[in-house]
Amino acid sequence: MNEEHPINRRKFLNYALTGCATTMLGPITKLCLAAEFHNGHPLAPKLTHHPAKAKNLIFVFLTGGFSHVDTFDYKPKLQQDHGKKIPAWENTTQPAMGSPFKFQAYGESGLMISELFPHLGGIADDLCVIRSMHTDLVEHFQATLAMHTGSATVPMPSIGAWLSYGLGTENLDLPSYMVLCERIPYSGSQVWDSHFLPPVHQGVRVIPGDEPISNLKSNARSLKLAELERIMLHDVNEIHARQRPGDLELLARMNADNTAKGMMRVAPQMFDVSKESDATLNLYGLKRDDHKSFAWQCLVARRLVEHGVRVVELIDTGANDNWDAHGNMEEHRPKARRVDLPLSALIKDLKQRGMFDETLIAICTEFGRTPFSDGVGRNHHGTAFTCLLAGAGIKGGVAYGESDEYGLGIVSQPCHVHDYHATILHLMGIDHTKLTYRYGGRDFRLTDVHGKIISEVIA
Amino acid sequence: MPRQDKSVYSIAIVVALAILLCLHPVTVSGADQGFQDEQHVFFEAKIRPVLLNTCFGCHGGDEVNNGLRVNTREALLEGGFNGPAIVPGRPEASLLLEAIRYDDSAYVQMPPDEKLPNHVVADFEDWVKNGALWPAESAWQAEVAEPSAPHWSFEPVNPVEPPVPSNAWSDHPIDRFISDGWRAHELSPNPLVEKRTLIRRVYFDLIGLPPAPEAVSAFVNDTSPDAFENLVDNLLASPRYGERWGRHWMDVIRYADTAGDNADYPIPEIHQYRDYIIDSFNADKPYNQFIQEQLAGDLLAKGEAPENFAEQVIATGFVALSRRYGTAPYELRHLIIEDSIETMGRAFMGLTLRCARCHDHKFDPVTMEDYYALYGIFASTQYPYTGSEIFRFGSERRMNFVPLLPPEQVQPKVDSHRKQLAKIQADMDQLERESLLAKKRDELNILVESVGKEIAALEETGEDTEAIESQKQMLSERRERVKRQIDKKKKELKQQLARSDLPDDLPQAYAVQDGTAVDIPIQLRGNPKESGPVVMRNSPRFLSGDKSLDIPSGQSGRLQLAEWLTDRANPLTARVMVNRIWQYHFGKGIVPTPSNFGRSGVMPTHPKLLDYLANRFVESGWSIKAMHRLILSSKVYQLASDYNTQNASIDPANAYYWRFDRRRLEAEAIRDAMMATSGLLRLNPPGGHPFPPVRTWRWTQHFPFKKKTYPSNHRSVYLMTQRLQRHPFLGLFDGPDTNTTTGKRMNSTVPQQSLFLRNHPWVQEQAAAFANRLIESSKDFAQRVNRAHQFAYGREAYTDEQQRATEYIAQVSQELNAYDMTSEQRELETWSSYARVILTANEFLYID
Repeated sequence: MNEEHPINRRKFLNYALTGCATTMLGPITKLCLAAEFHNGHPLAPKLTHHPAKAKNLIFVFLTGGFSHVDTFDYKPKLQQDHGKKIPAWENTTQPAMGSPFKFQAYGESGLMISELFPHLGGIADDLCVIRSMHTDLVEHFQATLAMHTGSATVPMPSIGAWLSYGLGTENLDLPSYMVLCERIPYSGSQVWDSHFLPPVHQGVRVIPGDEPISNLKSNARSLKLAELERIMLHDVNEIHARQRPGDLELLARMNADNTAKGMMRVAPQMFDVSKESDATLNLYGLKRDDHKSFAWQCLVARRLVEHGVRVVELIDTGANDNWDAHGNMEEHRPKARRVDLPLSALIKDLKQRGMFDETLIAICTEFGRTPFSDGVGRNHHGTAFTCLLAGAGIKGGVAYGESDEYGLGIVSQPCHVHDYHATILHLMGIDHTKLTYRYGGRDFRLTDVHGKIISEVIA
Repeated sequence: MPRQDKSVYSIAIVVALAILLCLHPVTVSGADQGFQDEQHVFFEAKIRPVLLNTCFGCHGGDEVNNGLRVNTREALLEGGFNGPAIVPGRPEASLLLEAIRYDDSAYVQMPPDEKLPNHVVADFEDWVKNGALWPAESAWQAEVAEPSAPHWSFEPVNPVEPPVPSNAWSDHPIDRFISDGWRAHELSPNPLVEKRTLIRRVYFDLIGLPPAPEAVSAFVNDTSPDAFENLVDNLLASPRYGERWGRHWMDVIRYADTAGDNADYPIPEIHQYRDYIIDSFNADKPYNQFIQEQLAGDLLAKGEAPENFAEQVIATGFVALSRRYGTAPYELRHLIIEDSIETMGRAFMGLTLRCARCHDHKFDPVTMEDYYALYGIFASTQYPYTGSEIFRFGSERRMNFVPLLPPEQVQPKVDSHRKQLAKIQADMDQLERESLLAKKRDELNILVESVGKEIAALEETGEDTEAIESQKQMLSERRERVKRQIDKKKKELKQQLARSDLPDDLPQAYAVQDGTAVDIPIQLRGNPKESGPVVMRNSPRFLSGDKSLDIPSGQSGRLQLAEWLTDRANPLTARVMVNRIWQYHFGKGIVPTPSNFGRSGVMPTHPKLLDYLANRFVESGWSIKAMHRLILSSKVYQLASDYNTQNASIDPANAYYWRFDRRRLEAEAIRDAMMATSGLLRLNPPGGHPFPPVRTWRWTQHFPFKKKTYPSNHRSVYLMTQRLQRHPFLGLFDGPDTNTTTGKRMNSTVPQQSLFLRNHPWVQEQAAAFANRLIESSKDFAQRVNRAHQFAYGREAYTDEQQRATEYIAQVSQELNAYDMTSEQRELETWSSYARVILTANEFLYID
């Protein structure tokens, strides 16, 4: 990607080297300056390959693998054949298991959604349901890694890191990729790692609760003491840098100290929702003193996107007590109740603020679950499952792809995880075949050598 | 897709024109010449760009969808699974045209995203109608790498002599090579650096710690001509040297303390391999021997004295540490072996062998045969298993660790351990099948069954079953009691069952040994389920020619591979290592891609110097310390790092070494230096990590082993590092990737680093300790400030620094007056704040 910076390099450097050039400039100009400053700031906004439909991404990952046939992929035949043996499916002896949940048609589109998601049902006409997802390895660890990095085995950079690398960010005071994650998912921090991409693109984990970002809180007894110390550090560094003219890296590090100061100021504001109106809090079903629940996380996701964070990820739960309903499908109920209202509220909130048109929301999971029973619950199932897209550039009230009458395999318009990624990148203005990084002697990309854009879902 | 479509296209045009202008393809006869020329121009302008930009992505390069390639005319004639794509002269019979016309009847409509414009479809029709001519010499094919063409690093290392010195500046061989570049580019080198800076530079370089103030003054006051040489010798003799340079090697061999499987099981024994690396560097073990031991130490150990036995076995931790996957032992074995091959290739030879797992290497002459010839060597090797998710069920034991005593001493112990295992196993079986309890249970089973039958019979005749029901109830309860007794005893036995197939008290290592020797079939497209022809175990043919490894029957071939790797004739091994050494000294390699010397790597900036060093290295008996001495004694190493506008305008990247590159300390050096300065650093080697006992291991992917840190005041090389969780501190400051070889650390500047340095309690702790040290050093503030600079930066404080510090101490102290505390506490907090600034300032983090 080629970038043209409007600012004359030499002029800028002279300016920057003579003093605090950046304090009197707006944030974007500051970034362009920063780009010049650090030999091209790695987070400077970059040109897209083609006009982007979406500016930001909210990536919602539901851990454990939610059941497609109990949520967004209604299978009357499965209900009918409940208790019977399903023909020709990898020699399983388990009988078909109809969904214990009722489905109904929602909105003008008439999308069938189960009673688990009444609130998402209420905004069905904004959702695009992809019912033909498939993935390669059907274990939690591998499938989680695949949905995040395109690779089910060898660690690769996360989709958020790729987008940060490809697009940069618009707010220097916050990281470009932030992950709200109360409990660690399968395969750990690898899911938001930048791996071989520069570490600046790595997801920054936000832990809902008292200290959402590590080391953000000063230990100083007073603001004044903290500020005195910061200025002292600046002065010591300045004496050092003055004796070493021409070293942009030293200045970049001093700049990072400033950004850290910005983060210490701005990030807590992001997490402080006390200034939100009652109407907004009610929309999310959020109590005033709550600074931890999934509803809080969804509201914070909106606030982060509003302030220019390129990719916000929400991971609903951790590597245990999640959607992995082997034991009993009823386990889906509390999981769904936890996310249904907040997610629908997030979409409504983005809409009322005019942000729905520039924000892409991807709601995805590891894999689906078998239409036959696994005792009382369902087992992992990777040959057909459901993920959602909504927002910028996405057709609403649409179902793409079709699984067979039991939800076992795919009948039409298959969508591999690579295709899902390719489509997300496309909407963000990136050609997934061109966003590459040379590492270990070859060019790598999120979609490996695969990926097909699902143009049918694009508005 | 790495290829730059546009540039290929323009290369194609240029080459095509060149062909038209001078080299008529031999197949062309005179009469048709005009027509052919026209057709070739037509092809280059209208057809090739479309094939390249539109079709190649799925039908060329890596991808061959539906069996169809569009790289050559022959490929199109042959077509894909549905038959020929084109029939020259007959557009109506050409499937390719059917597809791009989007005919309703067509099997496929291509390209899938959008139909090509009509005029393009018309061009293709014309092209096929006119015979589908394709220039004989294809620029495109030439571009798609010519892996067999000569490449510098695959050629033998040249005998090189340093250029004749043109002046008296230095007759050091390295200086003579480097100063050649200065002359050629009209650069004037910086002056030599002052001694205070030099000692700080060389301390961090060789031992990764700052010099103590006394060491600085001793060196500054030592005016003898060999002062620096002596300093270097002392540092090389320090045990701290191995900790510093061993860490570099640990980057290269992707060291980790866990296996990387879904639950990231710990490897308590692997610290022995870490210590082996450190010891080897300290002992200046010849590099050829070092490689041989890491690949095949177990085989070398066989003929060795017992005192060397353990060391050599432990060395093969290099192979054992291959990345693990999944939940079961050795799951996805082809990927474990891929990691062995790739790490070996990149670490020792700078070759990216992994590329040849699914197809012949795109850039280098490594074939799939080469890959699977190496694969067989590792497939004939028995890797150890430390545990993974499935381990918690008790059915799998930790296995295939290698005893650290010669087999004849070990065998009795192993035998008795296995006997004991077998006995407990047998006891459990016996309990289940033949014990008195089991017999009782079986009898009760029969009774319960027969009573059941009686009940059924009575029910049939409609008689009362109440009495007999209660009898059955009683019998069932008795049976349950017996079963519970059996289960209880079984559980007791199971607890005695060892969790490892070797006795716990037998010294053992996470290492490898030879398994069953096998040659492996090629895995088509890298898929282990699709077998091609079997290939004999061997080294890559493009480097060894017709010579095959002479592998004794029954052996894996690791030893022969190691010998081949360290043979003088191998053009890569010595070059790669001297380049790494150079890189750690100067911050950049002569070859800037230290683990990729192939065609997709970057060419050396000083190829002759590289070969000279490689030869010297081998001649010195592969001595790494000799290489340090050679490099450090050059004047180039001792140049100041100052900026120079004149030089920078010619060579801004300092490719010609007109100055020494200033650089940031690595994560480990930052941590170690802070602790050294604060006085909290503990220098004794700590041994293993405090992992929980094996018997308690229950980790799963749902609850993986996740211990981010064990608190430690030891050097960072001894920190416990996991594969699935980054160490929080090392991760933040660009520490190594524990999953794959790291040839060069990144150097990132992110605000989270600043946040850590400002606010993390660990930094506070270091600052407080440093403050105490300063307070104790003197009552005089100016003395303290001076001392702070000596400890942290190896120099005295300047006047303006003294002034600013005095002002700051007063400010903070006054501000703290508002709080209720003792004067001692106020003093400590004041100086802690100052110490924090000193410890996190750029001067602390960078070396000049």
